[in-house]
Amino acid sequence: MRIDYTLQQPIALHAAFDVAGFTVLLGASGEGKSLLLRAIAGLVPAQGEPFGGLAAQHRAVGYLPQGYALFPHLNAWQNVAFALHGAQRRQQAMQLLERVQMAAFADCYPATLSGGQQQRVALARAMARRPQLLLLDEPTSALDPVTRDEVIAELIAEVHAFGIPTLAVSHDPHLAAVADQLVLMHQRQIVQIGMPQDVYAQPASGAAARLLGYRNVHRGHIDEARQLVWPEGGIVLAVESDVRPGTQVEWMIDPAAIRLDEGTDAVPVSVEVRHVDSRITQLGLRCGQARLWVAIPRDMPIPPTPGVYLPPAAIRCWPADSRLG
Amino acid sequence: MPAIVSVITLLLVAAPFVGLALATHWRHFGFADGDGNAVIVSLLYSLLALILIIALGTPLAWWLARHRIRGLWLIDALLLLALLTPPLALGLLLASMYGPYGPAGSVLERAGLVLTNSAAAFVMAQFYSALPYYVIAARAAFESVPRELEQIALTLGHSPWRSFLHVSLPLARLGLAAAVALAWVRALGEFGAVLIVAYYPQGIPVKLWVNLQDVGLAAVYPLLWVFFLVAMPLPLILGLAARRRRLI
Repeated sequence: MRIDYTLQQPIALHAAFDVAGFTVLLGASGEGKSLLLRAIAGLVPAQGEPFGGLAAQHRAVGYLPQGYALFPHLNAWQNVAFALHGAQRRQQAMQLLERVQMAAFADCYPATLSGGQQQRVALARAMARRPQLLLLDEPTSALDPVTRDEVIAELIAEVHAFGIPTLAVSHDPHLAAVADQLVLMHQRQIVQIGMPQDVYAQPASGAAARLLGYRNVHRGHIDEARQLVWPEGGIVLAVESDVRPGTQVEWMIDPAAIRLDEGTDAVPVSVEVRHVDSRITQLGLRCGQARLWVAIPRDMPIPPTPGVYLPPAAIRCWPADSRLG
Repeated sequence: MPAIVSVITLLLVAAPFVGLALATHWRHFGFADGDGNAVIVSLLYSLLALILIIALGTPLAWWLARHRIRGLWLIDALLLLALLTPPLALGLLLASMYGPYGPAGSVLERAGLVLTNSAAAFVMAQFYSALPYYVIAARAAFESVPRELEQIALTLGHSPWRSFLHVSLPLARLGLAAAVALAWVRALGEFGAVLIVAYYPQGIPVKLWVNLQDVGLAAVYPLLWVFFLVAMPLPLILGLAARRRRLI
């Protein structure tokens, strides 16, 4: 489904992209993503297609706001039945609750349900409307970090089972990584569209890389010797980039590509934070005024006076966006 | 400490009623002529005034809660003005507008609606004295309903009216029940404004005054007990009902 919307108030925003399967619109807070969803749902004035010019109650969308907005005075099945009519509404609501594995909680009030359970009831309620498009606003924001991945997996499975094109807006790279299609928004413009594996492999800019959750995205410039000057880190790095000398750049290096050693040509650093998980250790290293993240095998010893080596081939440079100042 | 202060406060509130219980001549408990009629007049017309207040005040309260317009402070000031006006002065203002020589009164009288010493005048005085209380309380009740929930109702295919009926009203029920109770108590107990524009028909508050003048205190207390008896149930039931999920 093609989305093409223009907003004037309260901020100017234009967004055009296709929604296929589970599409995630990834952008930082304050980009107007939620506003775009509300515009598509008909809750704020905007021009665009689909549903352009229709009142909110006539748009076939299922809208799940942040926090899910279940009606607190209605129990789970009554919430789902809110959009239903006729004598069969309770039965239909129960069928929808069964589809999201919430039938056992039909008589529970929202206040007694967990974030994930509320989300499933809200999904069933939105589906009762028989929408052509499902809109999810920050679906992971109200979730417990411990169960978040499970809840996301459930949500995606349910959305796929319902077979409705879904647009989720989020700033959460975890959600972006599981999308069928990814749309990146930066400074109120769509900056990249693609399958997650393609977008993750080739971020279009430093801003895109930051949105995707990449660490080690920094600013610098290319000097006359075609070397990367990194003022914050106080060092000059060899790069294999065809960016013109004198260009301001954003650059990035994969934490796993950085080598930790004690050689004389290594850049001296100090360890600030150590982030251990089951396979690898991520080290937050102080380098000049900046922080570099390095991923090393979990059992690798850290040298007493550590230094880092950044392989030129692993450094990716993008000409800096002039709007970033 | 708060418990002690609470007990003292409650004792202060209870003191006049303890006084009433002690002062009432229980052995000679009797009513003055016309007391029964005053009870009927008070109940019937207060109910009418309350219906009018709810019918006209609710849309205004909801509109004020949901719309941010320029000059809102003027509306706030107007409501405050209505609230601040001393009851006796309100009666005088009503008489000057709706009385037989008032600009609205003379027109209405030609149309057959007499707003002096009539049932309509009685209801009007109660309406004016209780309406601002209802609007202010109901507005606060509607403001407490998350707007997002009303909007969700729209996205689920409900019209704004159905959204109001099925979301705004039930979620504002506690505050609205308080607003109705407040309006009822205010209308039923109104004395000053009613005295000026509708000495007749006599409701309980004016009849209390008449009994005091004509008979004395002994004729006031029995009617006052009846007043409490008939005025209390509605706000009491509203308060209890609103706290239970399904009744309202």
